[in-house]
Amino acid sequence: MAPSSSSNALPQNIAASLVQKLGAAVLERVGKGNAFRLLGAPPPWWTAAFAPPPESLIDVGDLSPFLQHFLEESESAWKDGPDRVIRSGPWSHRDLASTLHQFETTALTVSGHPLLLIERLDERFDQLQTLLQQARDQRLQQLDQVKTHERTQASLTGSLAAATQERDDVLALLQHLDLAAIVTDRQGCITFISPRCLAWIEREAATVVGQPWEQGLPLESADRTHLRRTWDARTPHRGQQALRFASAPPRWIDYEIHEDPRSPERRIILLQDRTEVLQLRQQLDHHTQFHDLVGRSPAMLQVYQLVHDVARVNSTVLIEGETGTGKELIARAIHYSSPRKDRPFIAANCAGLTDSLLGSQLFGHKRGAFTGAIDDHHGLFESADGGTLFLDEIGDIPPTVQTSLLRVLQEKEITRLGETRPRKVNVRILAATHHNLNEDVIRGTFRADLLYRIRVARIHLPPLRDRRDDIPLLTQTMLAQVCAATGKTITALHPDSLQLLIDYLWPGNVRELKSAVEFAVISARTTCLMPADFPDELRHSQHGHRSSSSQESHSTDPKGDLLRALQRAQGNRTEAAKILGISRATLYRRLLAHGIDVAE
Amino acid sequence: MIQKKICLLGGFAVGKTSLIRRFVAGAFSEQYQTTIGVTIEKKTLLAGDQDVTLMIWDLYGEDDFQKMRESYLRGSSGYILVADGMRRTTLDTAEALHQLAQSTLGPVPFVLIVNKADQLTEWEIDEATLARLRHNGWLVFTGSAKTGDGVSELFLRLTQTMLDAA
Repeated sequence: MAPSSSSNALPQNIAASLVQKLGAAVLERVGKGNAFRLLGAPPPWWTAAFAPPPESLIDVGDLSPFLQHFLEESESAWKDGPDRVIRSGPWSHRDLASTLHQFETTALTVSGHPLLLIERLDERFDQLQTLLQQARDQRLQQLDQVKTHERTQASLTGSLAAATQERDDVLALLQHLDLAAIVTDRQGCITFISPRCLAWIEREAATVVGQPWEQGLPLESADRTHLRRTWDARTPHRGQQALRFASAPPRWIDYEIHEDPRSPERRIILLQDRTEVLQLRQQLDHHTQFHDLVGRSPAMLQVYQLVHDVARVNSTVLIEGETGTGKELIARAIHYSSPRKDRPFIAANCAGLTDSLLGSQLFGHKRGAFTGAIDDHHGLFESADGGTLFLDEIGDIPPTVQTSLLRVLQEKEITRLGETRPRKVNVRILAATHHNLNEDVIRGTFRADLLYRIRVARIHLPPLRDRRDDIPLLTQTMLAQVCAATGKTITALHPDSLQLLIDYLWPGNVRELKSAVEFAVISARTTCLMPADFPDELRHSQHGHRSSSSQESHSTDPKGDLLRALQRAQGNRTEAAKILGISRATLYRRLLAHGIDVAE
Repeated sequence: MIQKKICLLGGFAVGKTSLIRRFVAGAFSEQYQTTIGVTIEKKTLLAGDQDVTLMIWDLYGEDDFQKMRESYLRGSSGYILVADGMRRTTLDTAEALHQLAQSTLGPVPFVLIVNKADQLTEWEIDEATLARLRHNGWLVFTGSAKTGDGVSELFLRLTQTMLDAA
């Protein structure tokens, strides 16, 4: 059986007790104004918050400005009837003692009675406030964290920008200094490699960073060992030799290894590309050394250019110069720079030979052509066919041979002694002399027509005294050659020694210089060549006057010089020539001139 | 005696209650205590030659947890927008509350105070932003509930503006 509504109704006494227990004040509106009647006993907080309730009606608007405001809002609840309930939300009221009380007010209509329910929140308010406080504190904390994070991020971004700028500056500096750099950690793994270095080794940073430097760099075994040795020295160290990076094209790299001043375990390798320097040095070497000729004086550079020019043509060339200036070297340079370089180069010394002997030597002979001609013999012209024949001391050839030679030059054919049938030859003639052939022509000892034939082109080699600037380079080159040949180690040339060499007049020219260097290397007791190591004549010779111009005038006793040299060489002509710094041919010529027996 | 209701509107923890406590009681507490609901304070001041009693409604801060109840604004003669200079977003909240107040109350006087001027170096709200608001006709104050700078001027200026508008 369904309970009747009357049986479920809240008894009046229970309702009053309930309201009292809940601590709420229930006010019933009286009339249309702000007058309310307190239903039941006032709750315990009432007096503290609002002063004792009057016996009669209460003007709720006077209790609190908030309630005054809420009454206006509540009007609609009372007008709209029992279904409408309006809650004020929490509000605080400060009493006369400045104590805050928290309430919530509800406007509603019950059984046609407009009511106002004022509840004190107390614990519920505290709970709500604590909850909200925590949530907001947390929110503020989060905001602080976000701000801190943003600041940190901004700071890091700034630091990163500064670091990037610094890095760019360092790279620009390295670039400006023409340097590349690698930084390694304590394990020797690459932590940084500059873009320039990456470009050299043609790799991406990602493939190199983190790798041990030995794997990261394209080095050959010897260079890797060398670099490892420098690395292990653990002191700031400049590599003793350039490394070769096996890239395309290969690069030659100088390097220095330093400890990172901020962290000694880390190492900084500074690298500098020396490829261009080496290439330039090679080019310079080409200029300072032409075939076996050494020198970079303007006069020698001009000679190199002439050699280069005449090598391309087939003309006869007359090479003039004092003894020992290197005339045969010029001839060889012409030959080996010419299209004939793969064919024979034959040098013949024309001095000191009789006409028949020279003729036979040059043109060959038929068996029985003269006493002792026991067989057919082809001459140097035939031997040099297709190549070059260098006729040294051409000013000394006898008149009959001059005639034969002229014929060869004109007809391009030779006739062996004892034969009548000419033979075609294709030989380029290079001739050399220390004579003034013009004077020989005037004297009648040299054929003018032959001179014009052989002097189609001419190269004059300057005496060494006229290119003293080349003496240091020549000495250095000779020193290296002599040391290599003798196995001695000479590391330095004393400045006084160099000055001695520069001051000397060198009548025997480069040949004499080489002889002096050989002498000094053999004599040297230390690794530095001292003036005392050089031949006496350099230190005591009266040649040491730059004003002298003629080698012949250097000695006051040329015959005595020849005899002393022969005596010192124990009669060996070659050694005697070397001592005097002249060629063997010149020695013979001078011996003949001074009436000294030329027989060995 | 003239009595005026004014409201303080702003995001949470911008210092609304602190500004009121500084103005009404001359006190300040470093301890942040969130406001629940509404607290009404009363203060009488002399504006020109008139005593004006301000009924100052300290409304809870607007955020995701508590939304502004339009009904609280009714009857206000003016309002104070409060922003925290150290949080740029609180100015956005103040501007949103301004829209709400204007739609509820109409064109009543208002002022903006950017609070926490004692920590100016930490501010996210720059002078250019304030200049923009001033250019739009806003009365903009900067001040500090902690030091009291600008607080009295703020209330006095709003009161004067309300009296002028009446």
